Amino acid sequence: MDRYAMSRRGFLRAAVVAGGAAGVASVAGCGSLPGASGGVPLDYWNFFTGGDGERMVGLVDAFRAEAPGVAVTATTLAWGAPYYTKLAMACAGGRAPDLATLHASRLATFGAELVDEWDLAELEARGVTTDQFPAPVVESVTIDGRLMALPLDTHPLVLFYNTDICGRAGLLADDGTLAPIQGAEAFLDAGRRAAEIAEGPGIAFGAADALANWMLFWSVFRQLGGTVELPPGGPAEVDRDAVVEAMAFMQTMCDGTIASKTLDGPAAPATFASGQAGFLLIGPWEVVTAENTGVPFSMTQFPAVFGDTPYVRADSHSLVLPRQSRVDPDARAAAYDMAVSMLKNSLDWARGGHIPALSSVAESPEYLALQPQSNYRGAADVVEFDPSAYFSGSGSTLMSRAGQTLQGITSGALTPDAGADDLIGWLDEQLTLGSPV
Amino acid sequence: MSAVGSAQNAPGQGGPAVLGAGTSGAAPRRRSLTSGRGGLWFVLPFMVVYAAFLLWPLVYGLGMSFFDTSLISSSQSFVGLDNYRQLLDDPQVWRTLGITLLFTVLSTVPLVLVALVMALLVHTGTRGQWFWRFAYFAPFLLPVSTVVLIWQWLFQGDFGLLNAVLGWFGIGKVGWTTDPDLALWSTILLTVWWTVGFNFLLYLSALQAIPATVYEAAALDGAGGWRRTLSITLPLLKVTTGLVVVLQVLASLKLFDQAYILFGGSGGPGGNAAPILQYVYDTGFVNYRLGYASAISYAFFLVIIVIALLQTRLTSRKES
Repeated sequence: MDRYAMSRRGFLRAAVVAGGAAGVASVAGCGSLPGASGGVPLDYWNFFTGGDGERMVGLVDAFRAEAPGVAVTATTLAWGAPYYTKLAMACAGGRAPDLATLHASRLATFGAELVDEWDLAELEARGVTTDQFPAPVVESVTIDGRLMALPLDTHPLVLFYNTDICGRAGLLADDGTLAPIQGAEAFLDAGRRAAEIAEGPGIAFGAADALANWMLFWSVFRQLGGTVELPPGGPAEVDRDAVVEAMAFMQTMCDGTIASKTLDGPAAPATFASGQAGFLLIGPWEVVTAENTGVPFSMTQFPAVFGDTPYVRADSHSLVLPRQSRVDPDARAAAYDMAVSMLKNSLDWARGGHIPALSSVAESPEYLALQPQSNYRGAADVVEFDPSAYFSGSGSTLMSRAGQTLQGITSGALTPDAGADDLIGWLDEQLTLGSPV
Repeated sequence: MSAVGSAQNAPGQGGPAVLGAGTSGAAPRRRSLTSGRGGLWFVLPFMVVYAAFLLWPLVYGLGMSFFDTSLISSSQSFVGLDNYRQLLDDPQVWRTLGITLLFTVLSTVPLVLVALVMALLVHTGTRGQWFWRFAYFAPFLLPVSTVVLIWQWLFQGDFGLLNAVLGWFGIGKVGWTTDPDLALWSTILLTVWWTVGFNFLLYLSALQAIPATVYEAAALDGAGGWRRTLSITLPLLKVTTGLVVVLQVLASLKLFDQAYILFGGSGGPGGNAAPILQYVYDTGFVNYRLGYASAISYAFFLVIIVIALLQTRLTSRKES
């Protein structure tokens, strides 16, 4: 009995000592981190994984080499709602990172109180001015005349095509590129002809994926001339006819032959990359997936399915200065340096499919020679960003909730009329809740 | 604590074997621990953590539900009962609450019945009991993300295992996670596979606590296997069943993580698998409306209390 008591007491004592030691070590560790590398500590948050993640590491490493006096800690978080939730909470708590990546479409919320504006003079001193970016992109990151985010790229919906399947289906022009497609019928017909040759669907499309659904819907809806206004308090002002027509087009496309009714987000690019589909409709970042499998493919701008202008849903990865309760001027200067360095080095970023935002990169012979990435660079001039509201943008509730409706459309569970009522009804409900901004 | 002392393997007390162990002579020492001044210091570390991470957030959340607190705006104002009034009119609250309650009913039934059947089968004395016990309980040990990852592959519409097996029998593709009518059922299927092991274990321990003498007596009186199961085993499991049902209802009401991961936070096709806790999370953290989210969670808290009270009344009436 005595022996047990002793050993228990001994254990407790050891545990306390061990715990204390761990605490001391961790405190010491915290203190020694910036000291050890001997530079200005700079925290940078992003949400890039996979191929994008690798390229982002490359960009960060390039900056590390340029600025040995800065100790960059790059943190990668899961994309979408989790990232924006954490970033918003960090900003609200005043202990945000020094630099962060943000989709331009999320500025409706973040632009209000959570990020600081970019100082144009500071940027100019580093050789960057706003006229070096595409006009629609600059517009999307400017709030009340203040530049709230620095665009790194534009990533529109693009059309991947399997050159082998499309060749056999007679869809290629003489030069081996995809023959121009104009109009909904032509687009669906191309899908049908590819489906005859392909093992799987004509068009690999994530019919069960909110992001893919929303990108296609918003592109087609805008091509139809549809507009959405979301005033706080509601009701939503939406072109219902254009919603119905866009949904009807998507339902016709997802007929099980042209495109699957059930393919989910990860499965769509996998189907294309394994050579089972003629086309793939998704963002340009999947270029890496396709390249890695060696499938014969190329890429082009999403065509004008309705109307004459190939408007296309896009977003822009941009860099922001999250609001901090105490700004360290050295870290802030380093954040400017790092942002500009990333913009100037974005040729490598462009290899991952994104259209570089900075004109000196976008117009460089190296980028223009990049195949197939430079084929769809024209899309940057016809980009359509998401409607502006606190619940809108990439990885937002709107995208996820509209994805639900659109999945009902693509799976055939909802008629386009019912889908339009469902989506517009939800927008009205959401607006009556009032804005948290 | 006389209840502890009297629980010496009394049949029908539900898992008494654990409680009955080593209680003699404990009473005097227990007195000194509770009345002595040292006791407080032992529970203090726990109480501090408990107060900081449970009690205070509970009070703070209740307070927040009367404000229009926003995660992204520094200004907030007192709105009284506006949040509560608003949630009564919010169709999304009712819808997600309905989905949560439906899930609770639909998942509790199989989670109790399947667990009971599995426990009975294992208890009949099949060879290699340790293996069955392990196999049935193992999924419960997996983290939720792993479970969902496994089932995402099984459910996959175009090349998933479930649809492939159905294909062998000439049955067409089923949209496990894409069909609005099936989404909740898929969530239930996954949940049953994942958590049935816990109820199974409760049942198995209760079965093992039934003294063999009862069965021997019944066998001498000429009762066959079925008769013994129906007249002895099941009645003696009543208390355990009560416990399992209460625990299961509370666990099912907490539906969030598996549905959230399975459908990538989208709420499933047509939003048919979006539980109310996800709506609370989305409202508070994705859409930044913390005040309103607190109000919804307190309204849901009220629902849980009502359900718990109803259950207590039902069981106490049964016992009397």
